[in-house]
Order: sequence, then C-alpha cells, then structure tokens
Amino acid sequence: MSTDSTLTPPGAPVTALIADDEAPMRDLLRARLQAVWPELRIVAEAANGVQAVELGELHKPDIAFLDIRMPGLSGIEAARRLYCHSQIVFATAYDQYALDAFEQGALDYLLKPVSAERLAATCARLRARLQDRLNMRLEMGLEAQPAARQAVATPAPQDIGAQLARLTALLENKGRPAADARPKNGYLRWIQAQVGASLRMVSTREVLFFQSDEKYTRVQTATSEFLIRKTLKELLDELDPDEFWRIHRSTLVRVDAIAEVARDVRGRQMLRLKNYPGELEVSRNHSYLFQQM
Amino acid sequence: MRASQINYALDFVRDAINEAGKWWWRFFDWLAVVEWRRLFVTWFVVLLCFGMLNTPEPAVWYIFISFAVKILAGGKRKAELVARDATLQANVATLERRLMEAQMAALQAQVEPHFLFNTLALIGQLIETDPPEAARVHAHLIDYLRSTLPQMRARDGGTLGKQVELSKAYLSIMQARMKERLKVKFEVPLFLHSAPFPPMMLQTLIENSIKHGLEPKIEGGTVRVRALVVDATLQVEVCDDGGGIDPHADDGVGLANIRERLQLLYGAQAELLIATPPGGGACATIRLPYKMMEDTAP
Repeated sequence: MSTDSTLTPPGAPVTALIADDEAPMRDLLRARLQAVWPELRIVAEAANGVQAVELGELHKPDIAFLDIRMPGLSGIEAARRLYCHSQIVFATAYDQYALDAFEQGALDYLLKPVSAERLAATCARLRARLQDRLNMRLEMGLEAQPAARQAVATPAPQDIGAQLARLTALLENKGRPAADARPKNGYLRWIQAQVGASLRMVSTREVLFFQSDEKYTRVQTATSEFLIRKTLKELLDELDPDEFWRIHRSTLVRVDAIAEVARDVRGRQMLRLKNYPGELEVSRNHSYLFQQM
Repeated sequence: MRASQINYALDFVRDAINEAGKWWWRFFDWLAVVEWRRLFVTWFVVLLCFGMLNTPEPAVWYIFISFAVKILAGGKRKAELVARDATLQANVATLERRLMEAQMAALQAQVEPHFLFNTLALIGQLIETDPPEAARVHAHLIDYLRSTLPQMRARDGGTLGKQVELSKAYLSIMQARMKERLKVKFEVPLFLHSAPFPPMMLQTLIENSIKHGLEPKIEGGTVRVRALVVDATLQVEVCDDGGGIDPHADDGVGLANIRERLQLLYGAQAELLIATPPGGGACATIRLPYKMMEDTAP
C-alpha cells in the first residue's frame, strides 16, 4: 500500500472532503466541523457520489465525510475508491443494515443531523489516528513501534476494503444475507410491450398467462392482452420459476392466478383462472404439477 | 400419384374421424346436462319416427346408449355443478377477506423510515440555520403525516383536490431536500378538484417517481402531475423524466396495493398503466370512471 507516501507532511493542515446530496446537510456539517475542529481545512464539497470520487482523487483529503445515499454512486461505493488516501467517515440519517455493519466493523459514522458532541468525539478519534500514522512514518526510519499502533486501533486498509465490499453487497440485497441473494440482475419483473409510441410496462403481477402464438408471445392480463416478441423460452429463463409455471408447450401461467384445476369429461386437466373467463389446458407432460398431495 | 392419393384418402379419413369425435363429445356434453324429462321426450320422438319407418332397432340403441351415458356422466356433471357452486361461495368469501386485507394495507402507515428520518434531520439542521424554512418544512411534514397515518386521516380525503394538496406537502419537503434537482408541475384543472379519487394513490405514484426516477439521477428532473377527463374516464398521470424502469426491479407493494384497491373499488372499470415514453423516464396513469359529484362515490 502506498498509503504512507501520500500522507500530509507534518505541520500542514489536515484536509477534508464533504459529500452529501442535500445542501443543508453540507452546511450543517461544515458549520459543526468549524466549531469543533477549527484547524481542519475543508478542501472540497460534493453533491453526488461521482463528484465525491473525482474531488477525492484530485485533492486526496485526509478525511472524507460521505453520505451513504447519494445519486450517481453511493457513499459506500465512493469509499471503496477513496479509502486508500483518506480516512472515511460515513453519515446517514437512517440505514438499519449499514449501522449494524459499521458498529461491527469499527468504521466511523455520524448520525444526521450531526450533533456537536458526537462530531467532537469522532474528530478526536480521527486526529489521534492521523497523528499515529504521522508518528509511524516519522519513526519508520528509526525503529518500528507496533505498540503505538495498537494504542489507537486502526483497521488496515486491506481490511477496510473487504468490509466495504461486504457492505456494498449488503445494501444491494437490502439486508438479506448473501447466501440467498438472487443473481445480480434478479428475475424479470416487468414485461415491456410496445403500445403506440410508448413502451407499456406490464408488471408480472398483472400477467395471468403467456401463450406463444406463432412468432409472438401473447401476454394476457385481467383487462387486456399484448403481443411481445420475447419467446416463451426466453421468458422461461428470465422469470421467477416460483411465480410462473409452464403447464403446456405453449403456455406459462402465473401460479397465483390459478383458481382451480378440473378434469373435463375427456380426462384432460383444465386450469380455471381468477379474473379470466377462459380455460387453459395442462399437457400430460406437465400434469405432475397438479398431482394431489 | 398413387402415394398422394393415399395421403389424400388418409387425410380425409382422419378429418372425418375428428369431426365424428367432435359430434360425439358434443352429444355427450348435451346428454350430461339435459333434463331427464327432455330425454324422455326425445326417446318418445325417436321411437315414433323409427316406428313409422318400421325399423325400431336404431331407436332402441339410441335409448339404451343415452340412458347408460346419462346415468354414468350425469352424476359426474352434477358433482361438478355442486363443486362450482361451492367455489363461487368460497370466492365471495375470499373477495370479502381480500377487501378487508386491502383496506388494512391501505390504512397501514406507509411512511418510510428513511424519509421520516431524513426530513427530521433536515428540520433539525434548519432550526439552526434558517428557522422560518424549518417551520415551513415542519408544517409540511405534519400535513404529510396526517394524510398518511390512518388514525389521523381526514374524512374528506376522497377528492382529487385533497389528494393533490396532500401530494404538494410531500413534494415541498422533497424540494427542500433536493433543492433545484426537483421540479414539480401540476396540471389539474379546477373543476376536477371535486372529483372523487381514492386516497394515497397519487402520493404513492409521486413517491415512486422521486424514489426510483429522480433521486438516483445526478441532475434530478421534473415530476409532472396531470388530470384530464377522456370520455367518461378520469385519467390521472404522474410522469417523470428520470432514469426509467429497470425490468428486473421489483414493482413493490405500493403499485400492487393500488392495483388491488382499484380492482376492489371499480372492478374492470379502472386500471393502473405504467409506460416508459420514448423520451425516457416513466409514466404511471390511473384511469377510473369519472363521476361529477363527490356523494356518488362508491
């Protein structure tokens, strides 16, 4: 890690970056910082995540205060690009998953609106840590002092990087553990159908069934039907298999929409749907779906 | 030539068998549901006709076969009818239960903690820097909470005018937070303000527009709310020029809740349409039967 080579030379003022998409929040943090740490120089302020990374890489501040939810790039993603040069302090008003993770990972965070006491405590910790690094650098030539390092528990940068990667995954999955997280893109939830000039978005919750119809696929909802170009095979691959079942070579039906299954006089299994007058045939190959328990 | 002739003959035979099968099953279905009284009448007529032709055998066969089929298939059919009756009753019960559930869901507070905490944080900070603005945002927050929390929901919340007013409270809060990144446009003619409109639907659509369309976009954008009457349909649109809709993003409980409530209130007469216009962004439209007076609301 080239961390130490980019550190501020001794005597130079400590620099900071503030990133928050809400201007009033930046104002408050700036005012509070000036009160509790007058020597701190705020070199840049960013209104979104992309700007935060740009300005952070340009100014290489000692400390970066990052809001978690920002347009463009989240604070955690921005932190993954900046943590090598800067001490990261997250700020959030409410993020149940992130807060737990911060506590466990000993990452610095502030709760908005930032109170003076809390900020003072955080700043004291940051100051100690920066001083510690400075000392380490100064004494590096003379002798290594692992004891001083332990006095102020500083996570190694590699460690922070791994934690941030975990956090990114955690936030993407809204707190679900990574084990049952879906593939990155998830299942198809919206069917796009061209209607006139615009694209109608039909939620899969509205769809009763899909039926292949020559080179198109018919999408039936309770109120209307659309033709889309996607083939049944493609739909089968992209849709949630628990949401839609294939009951016939040419039919995919929404499980929730099934009202009942009956055998007609000829012994075929027929599906009756809620909010739909017609019936759908279940082919023999798929009749195992509706075996009695 | 011979081969094609054979093929032709085979096709003909197959068609004929198909057709005969079709007629047989039609006869079968008819037998299953026909009343015994009518069946007796047909027996009598058939006996009479063939009797006059002096060949009673086909009539006897007809009577024998139809009697047997009626005995065998009629019972099954009757069972089917009873079952259908039972499911109909069950459906009514389900519908009533679902109505209750939907009402409960609609009544449940839909205030997102994230929104609430961010707004409170904003007020907390404005108290120090800009007290009049803090008071303004605070008042908007109270209006918004009043419209959202069921215990406090005003009874006259059911007109479009009221819904627009409550949505404006929410939008004012978001504008205080997002500043120039959020622009708002209302095109709701005054005469539509008294039209009945179910509560919390407009707010949900606007919140979706901001949360999924504009907040993630760096430069922000515009939310446009438009109401118009087309034929006898009241059409309320919420459009944004934000990031559009990710086909893999879950549509969330908000839209499902609107769809369910529209279905329960208006049946097939109302719908929620989501579209992405060619210029980008997303448009959500609620269409429901237009009624002039509030007191005719369902």
